[in-house]
Amino acid sequence: MSWDDKLLKQAKKIIKLYPQKRSALGPLLHLAQSKDGYISDDSITVISELVGITEVQVKSVSTFYSMYKQEPTGKYLLSVCKSISCEINNSSEVINKVQEFTGLNNNETDEEELFTFEAVECIGACGGAPAVQVNYETVEGVTPENAINLCKWLKETKPDVVVADEMQENFGGIKSFDWAIQDNSGATSTAPGFQTLKTTKVKK
Amino acid sequence: MNEKVNLNVNGIEIESDPNKLLIEACEDSGIHIPRFCWHKRLDPVGMCRMCLVEVETPRGKMLVPSCTTEVSDEMVVDTESDVVKKAQEGVLEFLLINHPLDCPICDKAGECPLQDQTMAYGPGESRFVEEKRHFEKPINISEIILLDRERCILCARCTRFSDEISGDPLIEFIQRGNKTEVNTFPNEPFKSYFSGNTVQICPVGALTSTSYRFKARPWDLKSTRSTCNGCSMGCSTELNSSQNKMLRILGVDNDTVNQGWLCDKGRYNFEYLNSDSRLKTPLKKIENELVEIEIQDVYSELSEVIKDRQTKVNFLLGSNLTNEDYVAFREFSEIISQSEKCFYLNDDMLHPGFFGENVELAKVDDLNSSDAIVVWAEDLKEKIPVLYLRIRQAVKNGVKLVVFGHTNETLSDIADVFYGKETVSENFEIVKDISKLKEIKEYVIGKNITAILGKSTPHQSDKSVTKLFEFLNSNSNSKVLNAYSKGNTYGAFQTLENVKGLNDFVNDISEENTDLLFIVGADPVGRSVYSNQIKSIIEGLDKVVALDNFNHETSELANFLIPMSSTLGEKEGTFTNIEFRTSRIDKLVPSPGQTVSDWEFITSLMNFAGLTVETNSLESLNKKAYENLDPSLSPVFDNLDKPSNLDGMVNVSKPKISSTDNNSNEVKFFTGEKLYGDSATERHSDSISLLGSKKYIEVGEGVIEKYNLTSGKCTLIQDEFEVAVSYEVNKSFPNDLIYIPTNRRELNKFDFSREIMIIPSLVKEALDVN
Repeated sequence: MSWDDKLLKQAKKIIKLYPQKRSALGPLLHLAQSKDGYISDDSITVISELVGITEVQVKSVSTFYSMYKQEPTGKYLLSVCKSISCEINNSSEVINKVQEFTGLNNNETDEEELFTFEAVECIGACGGAPAVQVNYETVEGVTPENAINLCKWLKETKPDVVVADEMQENFGGIKSFDWAIQDNSGATSTAPGFQTLKTTKVKK
Repeated sequence: MNEKVNLNVNGIEIESDPNKLLIEACEDSGIHIPRFCWHKRLDPVGMCRMCLVEVETPRGKMLVPSCTTEVSDEMVVDTESDVVKKAQEGVLEFLLINHPLDCPICDKAGECPLQDQTMAYGPGESRFVEEKRHFEKPINISEIILLDRERCILCARCTRFSDEISGDPLIEFIQRGNKTEVNTFPNEPFKSYFSGNTVQICPVGALTSTSYRFKARPWDLKSTRSTCNGCSMGCSTELNSSQNKMLRILGVDNDTVNQGWLCDKGRYNFEYLNSDSRLKTPLKKIENELVEIEIQDVYSELSEVIKDRQTKVNFLLGSNLTNEDYVAFREFSEIISQSEKCFYLNDDMLHPGFFGENVELAKVDDLNSSDAIVVWAEDLKEKIPVLYLRIRQAVKNGVKLVVFGHTNETLSDIADVFYGKETVSENFEIVKDISKLKEIKEYVIGKNITAILGKSTPHQSDKSVTKLFEFLNSNSNSKVLNAYSKGNTYGAFQTLENVKGLNDFVNDISEENTDLLFIVGADPVGRSVYSNQIKSIIEGLDKVVALDNFNHETSELANFLIPMSSTLGEKEGTFTNIEFRTSRIDKLVPSPGQTVSDWEFITSLMNFAGLTVETNSLESLNKKAYENLDPSLSPVFDNLDKPSNLDGMVNVSKPKISSTDNNSNEVKFFTGEKLYGDSATERHSDSISLLGSKKYIEVGEGVIEKYNLTSGKCTLIQDEFEVAVSYEVNKSFPNDLIYIPTNRRELNKFDFSREIMIIPSLVKEALDVN
């Protein structure tokens, strides 16, 4: 087994939350994603043993959902929305600028394994279009210039925890909702930040 | 509950059971709705949308998939409206967008549902001019199954089969949307005992078998319906041949037996028929050389032996004979032999079974209607694979499954209770008080039980199973299915009196009581656990006649070797299965060379010896076999050929088995047989020989420590005899138990009543160097 004891312990804790073992499949795949930056075949074998289904059944689920990456990702997964609300608010220019800065085509990772770029469908932030996500932490109202600033900031400071509110303050603009509680926690990997999975951390 | 509902389909009033699917209700009334993904034996999934029909709803007529819609009373359905036709054309146009249309080189062409339905319901023209989706052309998903993902229309029949029916989901949909494909996990091939069924139910040519690939066109095939004689299940089959060569076996949906499924051994083991190594001429052993002789010379030499009717003749009969063959030997024995009338079956597991006055015998269908199934027998998945499928089906329908013994480990996954090593000892005895087991109280006592009982290993005493049987018989309303697994064992029971097994053969047969021994379709030296003893017995006999398809370890000891035609498509007859269901075995291809049927040989021999017999034809033997049964219910050819009896006729008759218990209280080794071995027929079937007869043993955890095994390999040594094997740890085994599969050459050559040394291979290498 290629998972260390700490991760296995966490996995078993997650499995206990569900009446059937196999129901924990989704969260466990996120856990695998946070470990390696993608769903490796080794992780699939571990998960299949943990939840008692065959490896190919795990593979089937993991390849169905696009948030489970099949290839290794960089430290920061840059997802720029290309759906209609963002598109009419100039997201194509944001996409161009980010691609220009990182030198990446869609679904590519750079050599330093710092950035992975993807243009994605609606991420539910139409009110603040155009929207960008870094490791699934959403920044709204991003202008092409601010998109470059965001990338530059990431490249220069390389923060271990990416916090949505912090990026919103520095690089964002208009927001869908402005009444949400201030949240200083953020994602620690290219898996979305979930407290139960411990893929989120408070930034000090 | 049983009230019918009335529907109006295309203006015609039809009746249906409630809770039926619309597509099935229409089918039953003769209205065909096209479909790809829906299959009677699989759960509906609504994948292909080919079965869209119009149903009147409060909001007007709507298109619904008839495979996921249940019938309701006064439903009004149109399956032929313009809207439906347009929908069907649309669906087919979409399905064909990525289909390569390589019909000219596709094995399925001619019997392809996609091809047929495109002709019947398709648009005629495609508007798709873009590049089709490409995948690597066929990939091997197992040694015998190939997958062409370009042809696949994603109906999910194969994936559902492997998940729902056979329970080994090693193929699944990978990716999503336009990229979706069926595939296996890397380095985890589709190793299933039932993989051939996916080829049969694939509605396109995506799944093909190495066995049949590029061999024939469907319109060239001759076919007939027959019965598989591989194990005692007696699955209904369709044999296909072209140019007098058997090319394929398909499962036929016999509701009460195999429901359309076959195991891969039953499906592909026929390949030995076309082997060049088959015996084609009679052989005689002269000074240890086998010399070809004319069959007439065999008859004349043997008739000298039997003419005076004073000969002591004994019979060792295999399980691949037809009932008519058995009857021929019985008649022969009655006329010729002076020795005690008994027949030895080639079965080292034969035991008296449970056929007494107080026993009600179960049918396979009883599995579905009982409250619980209790199993203590050989590993059913290995020995009667399709019965395993039927048990799975019953469990899926809510029947409780209680499994005793580490032998039936493969059932433990689906069992509600598995009484493993804590309850059943290394000596195969139940060590706990059965009545005090908690789940027995809950599931068994006072309930309707189907008990599948039999010996788990040759050296086990009959008494241990009897204990369980007696408990069930007195504490529940139980029916018994005796799990004799070998071929036509029940046919032998039905036609022969006084049958015994190999353990009795070893004790009984000697030079004094045997002038002439017939060994028919049996290789006990190559397969049974009594190998060495049987070998020395046969070597001590004067005249031994072997009838077989191949020359093997037993037949090479014989004085005469007669080439036998195979029961798989080379001769006619009847076969009786585990529930005493007798069905037809049919002939499709000529048998090669001078091969003869067993009954032909024995009848000709009697004629040659100037003995008149009334049973001198297949029909007369067939009538003779069932002469004591009620004529209207007896499975004679005339009755079996009636359309209503194609699935066979059940005629329970309690057999006379005079096998004795070997009374051993101590089982040192657990021996058994896996589905695939290396018998003569398996070695000469290309597909089966690929599927593995590797020499290995399974051991309990204690064995590893005891012998200090580390490298995954070890050597078994007894006296001068040694075999190198790999070993696997089996956690459900009692600590010190060692399992040895004996249907592999050499592994059955040990004396299992004595100690066998196990030496780790590293130590062995060091010893050999010194």
